[in-house]
Amino acid sequence: MKITLRVPKSAVSSQQGQLVQWHVQDGGIVNAGEPIYTIELEKSTLDVEAPFKGKVRRIADVGETYPVGAPIAEFEKLD
Amino acid sequence: MTPANGLPASKLAEIYRTMVRIAACNEKIEQLLATGAAQFQYYPCRGQETIPAAISMELRSDDYVLTTYRGIHDVVAKGTPMDEIMAEILGRMTGTSKGKGGPMHLSDPNCGLMVTTGIVGATLPISTGLGLASKIKSSGQVVICNFGDGAANIGAFGESLNMASLWNLPIVFVCQNNRYAEYTSFEESTRMASVAERAAGYSMPGESVDGTDPNAVHAAASVAIERARNGGGPTLLECVAHRLQGHSFGSDETHMDQGRLAAARAPTPIQKLRQSLIDLGVGEAEVAKIDDEARAEAEAAVADALEAPDPTASELFVDVFEDPAAIPYSGGDKPIGQEPDLSTLPTERINYNQAINQAFDQAMASDERVILMGEDIADPAGGVGKITAGLSSKYGTDRVLATPISEQAIVGSAIGAAMAGFKPVPEIMIDDFLMVCMDQVANHAAKLRYMSGGRTSVPITIRSANAGNVGRFGSQHSQSLETWLAHVPGMKVVLPSDPIDAKGLLLSCIDDPDPCFYLDAMRLYYNEQDVPTPAYKIPLGVAKKRREGSDLSIISYSWPVVECMAAAEELAELGIDAEVIDLRTLVPLDWQAVKSSVAKTKRAIIVHAATEFCGFGAELAAKLHEELHGSLAAPIRRLGAAYSPPPFALSLEKHHFPTLEGILELAESTAKYSG
Repeated sequence: MKITLRVPKSAVSSQQGQLVQWHVQDGGIVNAGEPIYTIELEKSTLDVEAPFKGKVRRIADVGETYPVGAPIAEFEKLD
Repeated sequence: MTPANGLPASKLAEIYRTMVRIAACNEKIEQLLATGAAQFQYYPCRGQETIPAAISMELRSDDYVLTTYRGIHDVVAKGTPMDEIMAEILGRMTGTSKGKGGPMHLSDPNCGLMVTTGIVGATLPISTGLGLASKIKSSGQVVICNFGDGAANIGAFGESLNMASLWNLPIVFVCQNNRYAEYTSFEESTRMASVAERAAGYSMPGESVDGTDPNAVHAAASVAIERARNGGGPTLLECVAHRLQGHSFGSDETHMDQGRLAAARAPTPIQKLRQSLIDLGVGEAEVAKIDDEARAEAEAAVADALEAPDPTASELFVDVFEDPAAIPYSGGDKPIGQEPDLSTLPTERINYNQAINQAFDQAMASDERVILMGEDIADPAGGVGKITAGLSSKYGTDRVLATPISEQAIVGSAIGAAMAGFKPVPEIMIDDFLMVCMDQVANHAAKLRYMSGGRTSVPITIRSANAGNVGRFGSQHSQSLETWLAHVPGMKVVLPSDPIDAKGLLLSCIDDPDPCFYLDAMRLYYNEQDVPTPAYKIPLGVAKKRREGSDLSIISYSWPVVECMAAAEELAELGIDAEVIDLRTLVPLDWQAVKSSVAKTKRAIIVHAATEFCGFGAELAAKLHEELHGSLAAPIRRLGAAYSPPPFALSLEKHHFPTLEGILELAESTAKYSG
């Protein structure tokens, strides 16, 4: 199973998020609960953690701002 | 091993299991939001898991729980299956409410979870009704009414605690004090040191405990629940548990005291209890198993929910009413009901308010689920206009409940009792007082069926009097607010114009599966008619042709119908043959009766006592023009109240409300209109 990790909507009015930092290399593997990237939203900063063990394919670039719903990474589930 | 003055390890492990199930559910929801897989406003419950986990240890499955938008922990603890919760928060058909409620409106009556509300403080009035139902039925069911510290400062709090105390209801008011009302701290909201001390103002026990200490919460809750179950009345139990995050998912935390926040997080209540279990000799492996099972349950629930279907478009109109045919304009050519033949029934000459009284009497005699609540309704007062006179003497003050002046609690108590199987008729003395309980009426009575996906319903009849045009009642006792209610999907709106209808429509409302707003008119109270003596029903949604005519349709409802009938007789002398249609109910609307009349006469005026601007006449006129545009011989005209608050002086009041002269003038000019 592969899911796309996207810019979250953090509040009714939120429009965008800025990718601050990657915590894993492109193609890297993370365990459930480990951070994948940090994203700055309009009112808070969020460490997005792996919902399960998986392999990360980076899509977005650090320092760039993306609209809500834009893809940040592909995340493929590993057993 | 059992610690001194505390629960044994096995009980604490049960509480811990509930807490980690809550945490796993919350974590999965936050994960869906963080990864962008779901987008909605979410109010996490982190920090407050101990409260329902400890309280639920003492609850029966048929005990009632009400909670608020920050309430996932209460929902999980009461026993709602996690897959249904996840499906609901993702808006799926397999959710608790078929996706119509969402995270703020979870309900699961199967396990006693009756209401999750998005309105601060609104659980409190409804809890009084669930408590009342339990008390009347002697069922022993206890009501756990959850709310936050912010809700302690809203008017519904005072009304509800007072009523619960007065009626000795089996309720535990659980104030989950997480130290913040949205972005405002507890200290910035009140000078009182605790919420619990307010209990003294209502002569009920109040206790404040550490809401992160399972022993403390359990001990206090046990006492309160036992007291409620055994007829000892309500308790105000404050559980202080610091919020571990900002107001909502993704919101900032700058308004929070950083020192207190750090202290609350290190360790969290879950981490603390986990350590306690290990200290008490529960093995690490056993605790880890509980953790793993909770996580697996939440993961499976999310996986199932993500696969579940969205509700299809046809679901939009399901659960607005029990029967979707009650939705305006939904019926096509099919009539909603049939006018009953009353001609063979014996009659007696009584007036409008006696007819209402008779309807109550017959409804209460035939069905013990019918109960009344309202200000001054018991004997000797017997209600305004003596409408409920004699009923409390005949059926007892347990079924005819005179209330404090507490409109939110009056309507809330009716809503709760209705959800628990009663057919309550709450009275709002005068139409204008509706404003002080509009949240209970519009946000709860009208919407709970829909927000629960049809799993709960609110078969209440809110009876109120329109005191318009009886003379010198002024701006706050004379308004006609029916249009406000017709504008809220889910509410039926009923306005009888004569004694026969007053009785027959009220009997229909009381047995109706949906909330009805029954607005009688003081101007009609002493109008007499030969009214059938036995019980009979006039179906909701069937207009009455009061006068057959061919030149002009006059469409009206409530007291102006009388003026319209008088106008029609005068018009006849001028050679104008008017047809008079009495709508009787605005929702359901008998559109076919209106349309077929105007299709025949090609001319129409609409007359009502409500403000003409944006009144119900505007809706009808627009729809008539939409559907009959090409065939109309004159523009549809309206006559309602002038655009001023109802004035006191008679010299002004007579220019405010529709008059016979005004109706005549408008009818004549419309009948004679030739472009």
